[in-house]
Amino acid sequence: MEVDLPYRIDAVQELPGHHDRAWHVAWNPAKPLISSCSADKTVRMYTYTSPTNSSAPTFSHIATIPTGHTKTVRSVAWAPSGNTLATASFDANIGIWEQEESEEDEGRKGEWECASLLEGHETECKSVAYSSSGTLLASCSRDKTVWIWEGDAVHPDSDFECMGVLMEHTQDVKCVAWHPEEEILASASYDDTIKLYIDDPSDDWFCFLTLTGHSSTVWSLAWSPKSSYLASASDDKSVRIWRRVAEHKWECALALEGNERSVYSVSWGIGKSSSPSLGWVAAVGGDGVIRVWELSENEDSTLRQKLIAQLASAHGVYDVNSIAWCPRQGFEDLLATTGDDGATRIWRVQPVA
Amino acid sequence: MAVEIFNPNPTIFAPVKSSKVSSKTDYLWLADPLEETRSDAEEADSEEPIDQDEIFGTFQLLFASPKLIPIDLIRSIADPEHPNTLEELRVVSAPQITITGNRVHVEFTPTVPHCGMSTLIGLSIRVRLLRALPNRFKIDITLKPGSHQSEMAVNKQLNDKERVAAALENPVLVQTLEQTLANASLRGQPAEE
Repeated sequence: MEVDLPYRIDAVQELPGHHDRAWHVAWNPAKPLISSCSADKTVRMYTYTSPTNSSAPTFSHIATIPTGHTKTVRSVAWAPSGNTLATASFDANIGIWEQEESEEDEGRKGEWECASLLEGHETECKSVAYSSSGTLLASCSRDKTVWIWEGDAVHPDSDFECMGVLMEHTQDVKCVAWHPEEEILASASYDDTIKLYIDDPSDDWFCFLTLTGHSSTVWSLAWSPKSSYLASASDDKSVRIWRRVAEHKWECALALEGNERSVYSVSWGIGKSSSPSLGWVAAVGGDGVIRVWELSENEDSTLRQKLIAQLASAHGVYDVNSIAWCPRQGFEDLLATTGDDGATRIWRVQPVA
Repeated sequence: MAVEIFNPNPTIFAPVKSSKVSSKTDYLWLADPLEETRSDAEEADSEEPIDQDEIFGTFQLLFASPKLIPIDLIRSIADPEHPNTLEELRVVSAPQITITGNRVHVEFTPTVPHCGMSTLIGLSIRVRLLRALPNRFKIDITLKPGSHQSEMAVNKQLNDKERVAAALENPVLVQTLEQTLANASLRGQPAEE
């Protein structure tokens, strides 16, 4: 297990507080805020200070949203504006949350309130995601469907109308993820496949591609931040990297192995590499190990992977359910994870001196 | 509950004596409600070895750590459609349990290959072990290969933590599960009259 890797994963802070399994964590893309959700039906929010070269940021709890969801809150997603948070719950609803303006204390914001509740799914919602423009929202469920919602022109962040129900998967849909620039949606399923969708301007949203290759449930998806690679994490213990080979065609380019149990979550960050790269891919799962790979393109444009850091027992003996790179500039070496211990943990990936 | 009976006339087997049972010392562990077992098990979440007899339901004597409650049993879980335990129906047995480090693998055999109760039985085994075993154990539950016509589908469902979590938020299902687990703490002993 002991191998010389060029980076190490340092613990920055543990953020306890959930009373039950913490399922998912999401960094606000615009503000120093991070939120986690749990089987305890709450969302917890933390703010953090700016890091310096020598010290990591400090995190402090600023809000807990009780949510009102009647079952587990399975995932959270921030709008690109950073002003709105969406929650996906096993109670089959999607919640849209906004911070109300506080009247007394200028500058300080008030409570997080439910701005909208999107109903329609028949069974547990598993994932929710905002498109890069923030005008579209996607949700998915055990009912095998993916729903696409469009924001209202007047209240784009909170009022949504269903634009399409995509019934392509044959089993639960575990995850939805939007392309970072284009209006392309990807979904991952218990049916072992990944599907990609676009909008037909004269008609409806449709599935234009099915990616097969994983031999079990696909749990999580992550687009590369600056290009059109897609990473997928699976119960088959692998992470696969899919390359765009034509406008509407992706092919499997690489498999990242090493996990000993299901891989539950994958995140693709820009990274802080000294050499040109496609960024850093981090994955976690049932074996409790955080693994970070650096991906880069060879001169012949084939893909190259290198395991650059790993850390075992990230949440002690517990499964790690989600991992996310901080998307904000200057914070590209920060990772957050959540686990079955109910904790959110913050990590910093640093070069070994 | 389903009205259809998948196996109306199952074969019932006598419980198998374990080599390690000694009823004299059982009183130490006899009445251990699930909650206590859980918290004690968490406290004792150290690297104590366990063996398949403990999971199956008998007691390992002479524990080095008095805190480590002998793990739990699945032999006295009730069958969802018969007045028998899983052990009596030979759905579970000690040789079908393997422990490798912190991984516990339980294989079970439905009484008939079209048993529609298999996911419920598997779920009851999982819930029993989740409640009783220290958190460090990773639990895998599968059907005995070739024992069920939907083997792959049942296995996949039983080992999907998200589906299991959602199932445990379903009050009707939990009620049914609790019925199968009501006598699970008997650990193979006959019920009090």
